[in-house]
Amino acid sequence: MKSFLKRPAFRIAMTHLLSKKRQTIVAMLGVTFGIAIFIFQAGLMTGFQNMFIEQTVNTSANVRIYNDVQVAKKSIYSKTLPDTSQSWVLVRNQKPKDEEPRLKNGYQMMRIIENHPEVIGVSPFVGSQAIFNMGIAQVAGRVAGVDIERENNTFNVEKYMIDGDLKRLVTTPNGVILGEGLAMKLGAATGDIITVSSAKGSALQMRVVGIHKSGVVELDNSRAYINIRNAQKLLQVDGSYITDLNIKLKDINKAKALAADWQKQFGYTAVDWETANANVFSVFKIQNMVTYLIITSILIVSGFGIFNILMMIIYEKMPDIAILKATGFKDKDIRTIFLTESLVIGIFGGLLGLIVGWGLQQIAGSVKMDIRGFVAMEYLKFNTSAGFYAMAYIFGLVATALAGYIPARKAARVDAIDIIRSK
Amino acid sequence: MNSDIILETRAVSKFFRDPVDFQALKDISFKISRGQFVSIVGSSGSGKSTLLYLLSTLDTDYEGEILIDNEPLHEKSKNQLAEIRNEKIGFVFQFHYLLPEFTVLDNVMLPALKLGKYDEDTIRKHAYEKLDLLGLGDQAIKKASKLSGGQQQRAAIARALINNPSIIFGDEPTGNLDSKNAQTVFDIFRELQLAFNQTILVVTHDAQFAGSTDRRITLKDGELLSDEMLK
Ligand SMILES: Nc1ncnc2c1ncn2[C@@H]1O[C@H](COP(=O)(O)OP(=O)(O)OP(=O)(O)O)[C@@H](O)[C@H]1O
Ligand SMILES: [Mg+2]
Repeated sequence: MKSFLKRPAFRIAMTHLLSKKRQTIVAMLGVTFGIAIFIFQAGLMTGFQNMFIEQTVNTSANVRIYNDVQVAKKSIYSKTLPDTSQSWVLVRNQKPKDEEPRLKNGYQMMRIIENHPEVIGVSPFVGSQAIFNMGIAQVAGRVAGVDIERENNTFNVEKYMIDGDLKRLVTTPNGVILGEGLAMKLGAATGDIITVSSAKGSALQMRVVGIHKSGVVELDNSRAYINIRNAQKLLQVDGSYITDLNIKLKDINKAKALAADWQKQFGYTAVDWETANANVFSVFKIQNMVTYLIITSILIVSGFGIFNILMMIIYEKMPDIAILKATGFKDKDIRTIFLTESLVIGIFGGLLGLIVGWGLQQIAGSVKMDIRGFVAMEYLKFNTSAGFYAMAYIFGLVATALAGYIPARKAARVDAIDIIRSK
Repeated sequence: MNSDIILETRAVSKFFRDPVDFQALKDISFKISRGQFVSIVGSSGSGKSTLLYLLSTLDTDYEGEILIDNEPLHEKSKNQLAEIRNEKIGFVFQFHYLLPEFTVLDNVMLPALKLGKYDEDTIRKHAYEKLDLLGLGDQAIKKASKLSGGQQQRAAIARALINNPSIIFGDEPTGNLDSKNAQTVFDIFRELQLAFNQTILVVTHDAQFAGSTDRRITLKDGELLSDEMLK
């Protein structure tokens, strides 16, 4: 490195840049702008996405096992035929059987899964649609019947309580913890009495013992935690009735494989967190595509700045190129000179871009926003990881090198005779 | 094989195809020995510059053979030719081609830094020697663009000398100079020849300059019209 800085190619490159200070600075600022936007825009995007994933992974099941009763059944008649691909079977108005979404032997399954070495915890769950009433306010939502201690141990419910006390769900006979949005819609606060009724026609008077805010807006708007026993009462079912097993894993990357295993083993539907949130992730994918498209176009524009200044220098320095070639500089030496120029612009413009981007993140991140999208957040959350900054920088350097390559190649191909003959 | 022959051409012909087919040089053959001070003359368009670009390896598109230090050029790659120019050839053109933002000293040092045979301090010492030889020692750390026309041309000669080349090629090196400066440049060439046995080949329009050299090669319409020993 030190020897390169002393080499003629580097000194010539620096001299060229310094002889065009203003244009050099403009080209550098182009790169600065591109990298700063990269840091800001992609930082916002990935910061948000990482937060969503983190929240999803922490507060909901990594794998959820449930009984998917909506699976379309083959008609009984078609089962009697040896090969349905050879014939058509048409049964109109086939109604689904009145089948409860019950996990048979749910608690036994729970014990088996609990003993799996990859599993941190399993929480049994009774889920149902419900109507919440307080006075004239009526809101449709879902009750989540849980064993709150288990649920808390696996999904850290307590961390997301914004009011009341989790333990009172156990100590209060008919306690309920409302999601923040749900409570707001009902106008209910901790200590209030509300009515919860199920589709089966039974209703319970329940006392609000806490407010919960997971940050996932959709959940907070509709979910109420109640005791698993109360949920069973609402649904008029026995004490062994559960609809879901929510499983937390040591390594979330194994969720997909384990879900497939359990689905096979138990015959119930098992979905991993990625599949369950597939719609969100596909939105992320589009977001990312748009973001990187924008960033790429900005960097292309920055690249034009570099292209432009190099072409200017090359036209102006034709005689220099001619004499360097005549006195024994090779094509690749000439190319090195101009690639060096573009990289110097990229290295310094990019560094400044990292600093400016970081500054923008700090400023935007300190403004209170109260955003409600997929997740609720008070402040914008940015990706500030070193790896991300390194990626932005490398992206910038690659763009710079590409922008410099065409002029550099042109300079290397200059025919010395053409220049000398015309002077 | 004669080790005293620095440059030799064997039936060299040059064709331009663009815009029309045109033969610029026809069967040029001669030999130049070490220490000769040779001039090439001829009317405008007779092919002098074209020949010089061929001899100095800048142009590689020709028929026939050219040998420098008894080595044929046509089998060399582009990079090898660049190395030959760097090590064995010094150029002095009508225009000085000094890099304007660099000092005179830096300009003179550049080809030696490229060659990389000596370390930078040694190269600087050599560069000062060449500049002293040309009476430019006191101008060394000036920007090249700040020198007078005659000084710039002398700096260009110092640059041509820095790697102790086998041969110096000049294409009208005095073309931009007044008669006094032209005489100075001629005297320098002569001194280099006498003191260091330097081989020099100069294309010129200046009849007096050409008449004072050892040997005068005359071109006419791309053909070698005459090759006279003057001394
Ligand atoms: N690149 C080229 N394409 C086509 N023809 C060329 C090219 N270069 C030179 N010529 C022609 O070759 C001939 C010789 O040109 P050259 O430059 O060698 O002449 P010269 O003897 O150096 O003339 P002058 O004394 O004016 O410099 C001229 O007729 C010129 O028009
Ligand atoms: Mg000419």
